[in-house]
Formats: sequence, C-alpha cells, structure tokens
Amino acid sequence: MSDRDQHMAELREIVAEVLELEPEEVADTADFVEEYEADSLRAIEILARIEKKYKVEIPQAELNEMRSLKAVHEVVARHAGWQD
Amino acid sequence: MRLGHGELRALLPHRYPMLLLDRVDSVEPGVSLEAVKAVTGCEPCYRGIAEGQAPDRYAYPASLLIESFGQGAAVLWLLSRGPGTTGLPMFTAARDCVLLRPVYPGDVIRHRVRLEQVVHGAAFATGSSWVGTDQVAEFGSMMAVVRPADAVAERKR
Repeated sequence: MSDRDQHMAELREIVAEVLELEPEEVADTADFVEEYEADSLRAIEILARIEKKYKVEIPQAELNEMRSLKAVHEVVARHAGWQD
Repeated sequence: MRLGHGELRALLPHRYPMLLLDRVDSVEPGVSLEAVKAVTGCEPCYRGIAEGQAPDRYAYPASLLIESFGQGAAVLWLLSRGPGTTGLPMFTAARDCVLLRPVYPGDVIRHRVRLEQVVHGAAFATGSSWVGTDQVAEFGSMMAVVRPADAVAERKR
C-alpha cells in the first residue's frame, strides 16, 4: 500500500467514525455537508482527531476547505509534510 | 484541590434539578479530576413512579449518568483554562460510552475524568464511573465546545 493509500484509509476511518458511517460509505470526493449532513461541530471533531493522530497543527481557517475526504487529505498532507 | 458544592455552583451554570455533581475530590488542572455524585431516592427522576414496580425501574437514568460525568469534564476544563478566558462548555457529543451496570438510589458514583485534548474551542474528555470497586460506565470520548456565557445563561428581562 502506498503512503497515500495508507493515509487515505486512516483518514476515511476517522471521518466515518465521526459521521457515524461505515468507511466504505465515505466516497473520496463526496461533500461532507451535502452528502452526509455534517455540521461545524463534526468538522471540528474531525480536525481534532486528525491533529491528535498525526501530532500536527492545522489552522481552523482550513476547515472551510476540508469538505471532502480528498480535500482533507490535501490539507493534512500540506501541514504534516506528507509527500503523497 | 477539592471543591465543595458551593464552589461547583460558582463554576457551573446548572442548578436544581440538573446540577448533577455533589463534590470534586481532586483536580489536577489540564489533566484529570475525580468527582462525586450521590444518587438518592429523592431525585426528581423517581418522582411519580407507581407503587410495586420492579427493582430495575429505579435504575438511575443513563442520560443523567452521562450528563453527570459531562459536568465533571466541564469543571475540569473550566479549571484548566488560562485566566481571563470566558465562555461556558456546551456538551456536544458522546462516543464509545458503555454502561456496565445500573446505578440505584443509595449508590455514590465517582467519576474519574481525564482531559484528552483542547483544540479549536473544543475539549475532549475520557474516563470512567465507579460505585465502590464496581465500574459502572466507560466514556470513550466526550466532546464539548465553548459558547459565550450570555448565550447559555437564562435571559433576564
């Protein structure tokens, strides 16, 4: 499994748990708010879990961008220095 | 640090019948807290129960047990904040909470709360509740966010 696949799988797990879905239900580009009825509290919970797991700090301003799994991966990769 | 009931009232906006902590026995700000809640037959949740009900009808409601633990987490968070910080914690999510055995009138619940993470105006706590040496609940993750106090407090005309 490539680094990217591994990271995507881990992030998918976090998102699924917070949104109360099965990991396979979380599509890469599906909008959390429109597709899964996420709200700002769930977004903060996702952000907090990611920061804890990867020991990385992500500015809250990035929340606006983190609306799909793919977008979350891009933001985290940028702040965690992933070369995915 | 130990907090009596009056000190809890000064910290939390909750009042009868929803102030569900009696005392805090120890606090290490930013880390952990141990709080006590005594359950009695005088609780409003037992008012109006018909005579002759089965014993399990007197089990303390799970929602109140979780709220009581959450109030312990709120006290811990409030005591962990820097001076001058305002706003009140509002409980927003509970995950991976397991109730292990019922609690009855006469039981004294001890909540052991650990503050896991404080980030982006949100706090996450974890812990367990005990009656004597029996664990009665496990709390995987309790989340609260901070809200302005005047948005939470009763509006006075």
